Amino acid sequence: MKRKLLGVIDATTYHDDLEELLTHRSLAALPFAGRYRIIDFVLSNMVNSGISSVAIFPKMMYRSLMDHLGSGKNWDLNRKRDGLFFFPTPVVDSDINKIGSFENFAANLDFFYRSSQEYSIITNCYTVFNMNFKPLLDWHIHSGCDITEIYHENGTPMEMYLVKTSLLIKLIETRNETGYTCMRDVVLDPEHNHSICRYDYSGYAVMINSIENYFSTSLNLLNSDVWKQLFIKEQPILTKVKDEPPTRYLKGSAVQNAMIANGCLINGTVENSIISRGVKIGKGAVIKNCIIMQKCVIEDNCYLDSVILDKDVKVEAGTILTGTARDPFVVRKGTKQGALMNS
Amino acid sequence: MGKKKCVAMLLAGGKGSRLNSLTKDLAKPAVPFGGKYRIIDFTLSNCANSGIDTVGVLTQYQPLLLNSYIGIGSAWDLDRKDGGVTVLPPYAETSEVKWYTGTASAIYQNLNYLKQYQPEYVLILSGDHIYKMNYESMLEYHIEKRADVTISLIEVPWAEASRFGIMNTNEDLRITEFEEKPAEPKNNLASMGIYIFSWNILKEYLEMDARNSKSSHDFGKDVIPSLLEENKKLYAYPFKGYWKDVGTVKSLWEANMDLLNDECDLDLFDHDWRIYSVNPNQPPQYISPEAIVKESLINEGCTIEGEIDNSVLFQGVSVGKGSIIKESVIMPDAVIGENVKIEKAIVPGDAVIPDGTVIRSFDDEIILVTDEMLSGVYPAFK
Repeated sequence: MKRKLLGVIDATTYHDDLEELLTHRSLAALPFAGRYRIIDFVLSNMVNSGISSVAIFPKMMYRSLMDHLGSGKNWDLNRKRDGLFFFPTPVVDSDINKIGSFENFAANLDFFYRSSQEYSIITNCYTVFNMNFKPLLDWHIHSGCDITEIYHENGTPMEMYLVKTSLLIKLIETRNETGYTCMRDVVLDPEHNHSICRYDYSGYAVMINSIENYFSTSLNLLNSDVWKQLFIKEQPILTKVKDEPPTRYLKGSAVQNAMIANGCLINGTVENSIISRGVKIGKGAVIKNCIIMQKCVIEDNCYLDSVILDKDVKVEAGTILTGTARDPFVVRKGTKQGALMNS
Repeated sequence: MGKKKCVAMLLAGGKGSRLNSLTKDLAKPAVPFGGKYRIIDFTLSNCANSGIDTVGVLTQYQPLLLNSYIGIGSAWDLDRKDGGVTVLPPYAETSEVKWYTGTASAIYQNLNYLKQYQPEYVLILSGDHIYKMNYESMLEYHIEKRADVTISLIEVPWAEASRFGIMNTNEDLRITEFEEKPAEPKNNLASMGIYIFSWNILKEYLEMDARNSKSSHDFGKDVIPSLLEENKKLYAYPFKGYWKDVGTVKSLWEANMDLLNDECDLDLFDHDWRIYSVNPNQPPQYISPEAIVKESLINEGCTIEGEIDNSVLFQGVSVGKGSIIKESVIMPDAVIGENVKIEKAIVPGDAVIPDGTVIRSFDDEIILVTDEMLSGVYPAFK
C-alpha cells in the first residue's frame, strides 16, 4: 500500500451557507468535534490506510490551514521521501467549485509525474468519516475499472474518486480537448469511454455544507453510536497537538451529555454541547445545545442555548444568547458579546 | 559540537521502591501524574521553558518505557540539531561494565558527554519531583554570587526535615554545613537535589571522588561535604512554590489531589510555563447524560457514565453506569465496570475493574490497586 496509493485532497471548496464560519479560514480548517479541523478526518483516514504521500490543494485564506498542518508531523507525514505537499492554486479568480479541479492540478502536474504511486485517490476535504481505503483499493484493482466513484450506501455520491495516476495525468492533460474540468464531469458524461464503477461505503459519513448541518452533525456526536464509529482506537483521527492540561471541573459545575476537550475550566452548567480546547465557563453560566470553539471565555451567569461561538469569543457576564436547532446563533471569531447588546 | 553555556544532567534512574507495584516495570520518573503527565515531564518542561536546550538523561532502572517516552525529545521541543535530549544509559568499557553506583558516579561516567559541549556550568537535576522552576534565574544567581556550587533549597515541615539533605547557611546564604538526612536537623531548609556546578569544579571533584574507594559516589553524602571541607563557595538558592517528592503511594496520591485544590501553587493552566508531555491523541472526553462530575481533573479520551467526585482521571479511562469514583486517581486506559465503588485509591493503567467491585480503605490508607487484589484475595473487596 505504502507506495501504491497517492492521496489528493481538494481543499478549494467554499460553501456560501457556511459563510459566517469561513470569514477567517478555509472550509478545510473548520473546527469540528472540540479538537479537530474537518480536514483531519480524510487526512487521518489516508494515513491510517497506509498512504505516505498526500497532496493538498487549497485556495485562498489558507493561513489557518497551513498553521494547522505544519510539516505534517502530527500525521507522521514529515518524511524524507514522500510526505505532505501543499499546492495553493495560482488560479485565484476561477469560479470552479468542484472537487478535483483539473485546472488546479494542471498547475502542479510535475508532482503527479514525479509520484511513483500507481493509483490516486481524489477526495473532498469536508467529510466527517472514519474509513479505511485499503479495501477500496483492493476492490478497485480487482474490478479492473478505470475510475471508481465512492458512494454512501444511502445513495449520495461522496465526491471521492479512485483512478490510476497515469489516467489522472491523462485527464488533466487533455482537459481542453475533452472539456472535462473535474472528476465529476468525467463520470457524469454519458459519452465517456472509461469503465466507471461505484463503490458503496456503509459506515458513518456526513459532508458538512451548511451551518444547519454543521450544527446538527456536531451535536449528533453526543450519540454514542455515532462517536464510536468516528473515534476508533486502531484508526485514530489525528490532529495538531496542543499541550493543554486535562479539563478541570470546579465547584458548582454540572455537566451532562457533553463532549469536552482538554484545557477547559468549567464552573457552570453544560448540557448537550461540544466544548473545544481551552474554554473557560464561569459560575452560574448555562450552556445548552451549543458548540463552543477554542479558547472562548463565557463569564458568570450567561445563558446560551443553540449557539455556535467561533474561536476566541468572549461572552460578558449575564449575557443571554439563544438560537434554534435550524438556525443557531453564530458569534464570529474573536468578538465580544455583552449583556446589553442582546438582552 | 557547539559550545553550550549550561548543560543539564537529569538523573532518571531511580527505582522509587516505595511506590510498590507502580514501579515494577518502570522507573519512578516515568510514573504517571496529574491526569496526563509523567513525573519527568515537569523537569523536562522546566528545562525547555528555562531555555536549556541540552539535556542528558541518565537512565538505569527499567529504562524501556522511559527511553521510548523521551524519544528524541520532540514533545518538549528538545529535538535539536545541536544539543537536545540524549539518553545516557550505563555502558561497558574494555575492562568492565560500569553501573551507576551513585548520583556522582552517574555524572562522572558521562564526563565525555559534557566535554563535547565545553559547558561553563552544569545543572544537575532529579527526575523524581513535581515542581515548576526557572533554572535560568538560578543560574543568574550562581553567576552573581560567583559560586562554585549553588544548591536550591526549600523550606520543609520540621517533622519531615530528617528525610532530606539539610543545609545551614550564613546570612549571605553561603552554605556552612550540609547534613544528609540528619537525625536531629538544625533547621528545615532542605536540598531539592538541584545543583549548579561551575564546570571546572565539577570535573575536578568528580575525578577526585572517583579515585576515592571509600566514597559512596553520592553528591549529598560525598561530593558536597568534601567541597565544604575545602572551603569552596557553596551558596543556597531559596525556592518558593510547589515542590513535591512523590516517592510514596500516599504522596503520589496527595500530589494528584493537590491539583484539585484552588490554593495549590502548581498551576497547570499557565500558558507561559506549559508542562509538555507526549500527547496521546485521543478524542475529547465524553460525559454521558447519566454522569455526574464534581471537582475533578479529567483528560481526553475518557468516557464517563458514572459519578466522578474529587478525582483525577488519565486519558482513555472509561467509567460505567452506576459507578462512583471518589478521591481517587485512575491511570491511563483503565476500564471501570458498572456499579463499582472506588474510594481513596490509585488504579494503575490498563487495569480492568469488574462490575460491582468495591475498593475502599478501612483505615484511611491509600490503596494501590494491584493484580493480586483484583484476583480477590484482598480484604478491601466485597
